[in-house]
Amino acid sequence: MGLCGENDFNKFALPLALVFLAGCTAAPQDEVSIRSAEVGFAVKAEPARSEQPKKVEKAKAAEKEKPAAKSKSKQAANPINELNQPGIAPEMLSIPSIGIEADVTHLGVTDTGEMAVPDNGEELSWFSPGYQPGQRGRAVIAGHVDDLDGPAVFWDLTELEPGDEIIVSGENRELRFKVHTMESVPLDLADVDSVFGYHSSPELVLITCSGTYDYDRGTREERLIVYASLVEE
Amino acid sequence: MKKLYLSLVAMLVLFSLLGSLVMADEHGDMAKVRVLHASPDAPAVDVYVNGDLTLEEVPFKTDSGYLEVPAGTHDVEVFAAGTEYAAGEGVLQADLEVEAGKAYTVAAANLLESIEFVVAEDSMEVTEGQAKVRVGHLSPDAPAVDVGVIGGDALFSGAEFPGITDYAELAPDTYDLEIRLPDGTQVLPLEGTELAADTVYSVFAVNTVDSLEVIALVDYEAAASPDEMPTTGLGTPEQSQSMWLLIGGALFLVAAGGFVWRKRFQ
Repeated sequence: MGLCGENDFNKFALPLALVFLAGCTAAPQDEVSIRSAEVGFAVKAEPARSEQPKKVEKAKAAEKEKPAAKSKSKQAANPINELNQPGIAPEMLSIPSIGIEADVTHLGVTDTGEMAVPDNGEELSWFSPGYQPGQRGRAVIAGHVDDLDGPAVFWDLTELEPGDEIIVSGENRELRFKVHTMESVPLDLADVDSVFGYHSSPELVLITCSGTYDYDRGTREERLIVYASLVEE
Repeated sequence: MKKLYLSLVAMLVLFSLLGSLVMADEHGDMAKVRVLHASPDAPAVDVYVNGDLTLEEVPFKTDSGYLEVPAGTHDVEVFAAGTEYAAGEGVLQADLEVEAGKAYTVAAANLLESIEFVVAEDSMEVTEGQAKVRVGHLSPDAPAVDVGVIGGDALFSGAEFPGITDYAELAPDTYDLEIRLPDGTQVLPLEGTELAADTVYSVFAVNTVDSLEVIALVDYEAAASPDEMPTTGLGTPEQSQSMWLLIGGALFLVAAGGFVWRKRFQ
C-alpha cells in the first residue's frame, strides 16, 4: 500500500516537476529589459538652420509686392514678431510606423516631484507645466511600457527608427515631428533639466521605462528617451 | 581674408562640436553655444570645432541655434564654405572657453578684412511673467545708437560696434521701438514689437549702415521641469513567472489532492 502510494506520488511528481521547469524556461526572463538592452541612435543634426535666410526671403518677397510700402526699411515685417512660435495643448499622439495611437492627458508632478503619469497603460501624459509641442523647447510626453496585464502603450517604443514620424494633434492643429535620437539612460544619470529643458527649436521627447527591474526602487533602472524635431509646416 | 576664414572656421567648429555632442551622455557638464554669421561681406562659411566640420555653408545673417558642447576650451576655426580644412588656415580662429550650464552667442562680426569674433554670455533665466531684452550692435560702420520707445525713453543708450548690451527686463507688451541716433534721428523703426512673458530676446543690428537691418533671436523661454523622471511601468518582470508559478501550484494542488483522494479510496 505504502509502496503503491509512493509510486503514485512519483507518477505525479515527475510531470509536475516538468511543468515547473517548462514554466520557468518558457517565462520570458524580462522582455522589457531584453528589448531595451541595445537600443539607441543619434542622427547628426543638420549643421545650420536656415530659419533666418527664409525669413529674409520672405521679407524680400513682401517688398516686391509692395515696393513703396517700406522704403525706409529693408525689412517688411518686424523681425522680433516673427519669433512668435506658439505650441499646442496636445490631445492625441500617433506613431504610424509602430502602430501607436493614444489619447494624451495633461499632468504635472507627483508628491515626490516626479513627472506624473496616467494610472493606466493606454493613455499618455504630457508634462503640462513644461513646454508645449510646437513651442521652442522640449515638450515631454510619457507612457507606460507595461501594465499589470502585459504590454502597454509604449511597449514598442524601442522599435522606432531614425526619421520615423510622430504626429501630435490638439487645438485643431496637427504637428509632425521626426525622430532623431533614442537613448536608454540609467535613472541616476538622466539629466532631467536637459530632457525637459529649453531648445532653440521645437522638440518632442517621449519617455518610457527600460532596463532591468530594480526591486528596491520599485521601478526599472533606465528610461528610454526618444527625441524628435518639428518638421516645418 | 585669412582672419575671416579663421573666424568662420571657429564658428563651424563650434557648430560641429555642438552638433555631434548634442546627445552626449555627459549632460551635466555641457554648455550651450550658438554661432551667428554677422559679417556682411563675408561668404557663407564652414565651421570646424576641434578639427571636426560642425557647421556647413552658414550664410550671412544665419544662426546655428544652440548646440550643446562639453564645458572646456574648444578650438573654433572658420573657413569659406567648401574650403578644405587645414588646421590654422581658417579666416578666423579662436580658443573658446565655455562653462558648464552657461549659454553663449559667438558672432563673426565686422567686414571680412577685419573679421572678428564677438562673444557674449546669454541669459537662461527671466523673472516670472517678465520679458527680457538686449541689443547687439554688429553693424561695422554704423555710429553709436540708442534703442527706445518712439517719442519716449531709451531702453539702451550708446550701443557701439562691436558690443552687446546687458539685458533689460520689461513688462510683456507691444512696444513701438526704434533704433535712433543719440540726437533722436531715427535709424530703423521697430513698431509694434511684441515682447512675450517669460521670454529672453537678443536683437542684433547687422549689415552696413546704409542697409541696416535687425536679426532677432530668442535666447530662452521659461517653462517648468520636474525633479525626477516619470515611473513609466505599471508591471514587474516576474508577473509572467508568477503566473507560471500559480499554474504550477494549482496543478500541484490538484495532483496532491488526487493523490490523497486516491489514497483514501485504496
